[in-house]
Amino acid sequence: MSTIEHDEAAIVIIGSGAGGGTLAYELTAKGIPVVVLEAGPYLRNEDYVNDEWEAFNQMAWLDPRTTSGSWRIARDFPNLPAWIVKAVGGTTTHWSGATPRFKAHEFAARSTYGRIDGANLLDWPITLAELAPYYDKAEIAMGSTHVHGRKPLPANNNYTVFANGAERLGYKFYSTGPYATNAEEYDGRPASIQDGFNFQGDKNKSKWSTLVREIPRAEATGLLDLRPDSHAVQITHDASGRADAVLYLDKDGNLQRQAARLVAVAANSIETPRLLLQSASPMFPDGLANSSGQVGRNYMRHTTGSVYARFNDPVRMHRGETMAGVIADESRHDPDRGFAGGYFLETISLGPAFLASFSDPGAWGRGFTEILEAYANTAGLWIVGEDLPQESNRVTLNTTLSDKNGLPVPNVHFDDHTNDIAMREHGYAQAELLYEAVGSVGAQRTPPYPSTHNMGTSRMSARSEDGVVDKWGRAHDVPNLFISDGSVFTTSAAANPTLTIVALAIRQAEYIADQLKTGGI
Amino acid sequence: MAFPAKYPQMNATELTDEARSVLIRVIRVAFPHPSFPDAPYERTADTILREAESSTWFRVALTQGLITLSHLAGGDFRTLNDEDGTKVLRRIETTEFFGFIRRTTVLNLYDNEDVWKILGYEGPSSDKGGYINRGFNDLDWLPEARIESYDGPEQLIEVATSASVAKIRGGENTPATERDTSNQPGKRDATMMEMTK
Repeated sequence: MSTIEHDEAAIVIIGSGAGGGTLAYELTAKGIPVVVLEAGPYLRNEDYVNDEWEAFNQMAWLDPRTTSGSWRIARDFPNLPAWIVKAVGGTTTHWSGATPRFKAHEFAARSTYGRIDGANLLDWPITLAELAPYYDKAEIAMGSTHVHGRKPLPANNNYTVFANGAERLGYKFYSTGPYATNAEEYDGRPASIQDGFNFQGDKNKSKWSTLVREIPRAEATGLLDLRPDSHAVQITHDASGRADAVLYLDKDGNLQRQAARLVAVAANSIETPRLLLQSASPMFPDGLANSSGQVGRNYMRHTTGSVYARFNDPVRMHRGETMAGVIADESRHDPDRGFAGGYFLETISLGPAFLASFSDPGAWGRGFTEILEAYANTAGLWIVGEDLPQESNRVTLNTTLSDKNGLPVPNVHFDDHTNDIAMREHGYAQAELLYEAVGSVGAQRTPPYPSTHNMGTSRMSARSEDGVVDKWGRAHDVPNLFISDGSVFTTSAAANPTLTIVALAIRQAEYIADQLKTGGI
Repeated sequence: MAFPAKYPQMNATELTDEARSVLIRVIRVAFPHPSFPDAPYERTADTILREAESSTWFRVALTQGLITLSHLAGGDFRTLNDEDGTKVLRRIETTEFFGFIRRTTVLNLYDNEDVWKILGYEGPSSDKGGYINRGFNDLDWLPEARIESYDGPEQLIEVATSASVAKIRGGENTPATERDTSNQPGKRDATMMEMTK
């Protein structure tokens, strides 16, 4: 691994997940040295444990956060708004693997859906046609099944229930993917052994993550200076308003300064705006790159919910790839259903420990224990759909509570839009119909988990007054500052976000390399 | 902390063996699993007692709560049957006392192999080679399902033909001056070729 001097003005990437890890690999592959600051430790695949709570405590971002708003998370998990990872590889080490693309109209939500009260809709400054070549590259990099010649994963038990229900309900567009886990050996990594552990990290390396692909390849170029346990706390700027350094805390809590000629922030959609807000200065009094006032706003988490259905016969949903089952029939935009945008249905399973904690938080008594008693005969699916950006759904700095470093903790405020609620209710009803069609004897509607999909807090916009970054993820206000994660999503679309984050990062890397060559930065 | 109570034991803040056995009964009534032996309930009670030891507030809440529970039960909570016990717990379910027991039980009762086996969960699997050869696809009460993408004659209609909201509510056809662009500006530049299907 290379070492870059702290006083050498470097390209500094903050975060090593889907956005930061991909950007680091793409830039080093083009011969450009980078420093990557990763807040978490360097966990390897062999460090992971097949145990829900132990793995959670090992991997999850557990720094204190607060919540407000009418979302149920603020009641049930007030200090855990999001379920994301703090480790090298970021949340790609915990994700399941579903890789659907956004649809054309989802890049133009404002134009397609019209004006919707309470929503802060805006069209993306890019189209599907512009992103399509990068979707191809991302799918090939990640080894998505069903596309580019990759075999589909086989049906596991949970999928067999899910797909039969889908067929009987009249759905057509179901399959075991696209899913970025190998059905057969690919890209130097083995086929899935269907061990059932995804959220806990994949010991077998069959699942794509930047930990198994982009980080080691970037290291192999000799151009990556990866610094784990390095928590960025401020981006500083020079007299002209250009970013000139990143201040971070090393693992001993000592403040370090890395000089920078370009900074790319990919810290996920809570920490990214937190860092920009913490970087306020006399020149940027409302936070760095925040002349629009949109930093931290339009926080989106997808409209989600799960249904766990009980049957008279065994399912054993814990065996096999967690989310290798996708139904796309409801992912269309059809206002006749009573809401704008669409949603996917995807298989999901939890072990008893997490099912107890998340299936109906706050519940007890016989109704609750029935859910657990039926564990072996239970099938599960997850609703994941577009949620609408709202200006008031927002990440701010909580000035009354600080973390162990004395920094203000982020507060996440969220209220469901009525559109989100209508979509979730529709999803619950369809899921129950699906399972009834294959003989379910009961079903549990599970509310959204702490958010795994976090988006929108530094959104892309054509005009600088509407958002934080341009169509390349470059800050409107600071020419050498980029945002490289899901924070840039103008709207959330229905699809799981990781593929789109990776595609955008590959595209951004080309742009940055080109700009560096031509002196545009 | 002291309460000006008419019962001297209201000032108790230490947990007794009797308190432990009441706690075990509370957990079983609140989380009834006929198939579970006593051991999982006992270890959960001990976890709660351990956690209470580390927090004065929880220790006080737990001690006082268990005493109060006996008063509500008309003597001894342990003598109530499941139904009556549940009724008593419903009355106190919003208390900090019960919330502490509930949260700690949910987090711990189900996080142990002793109950996984009973519930049919098989625990760690990577070290056993996963389930690829151990039944990940052994469900036999439904037909085999298609795994490939649909390749029939139908197309997913991404935007329903009835979805003309944008035009009605101020899309491209509305003069710019009349559009509400304060926080939801519409499409300005490129035409949306891929949208016009």
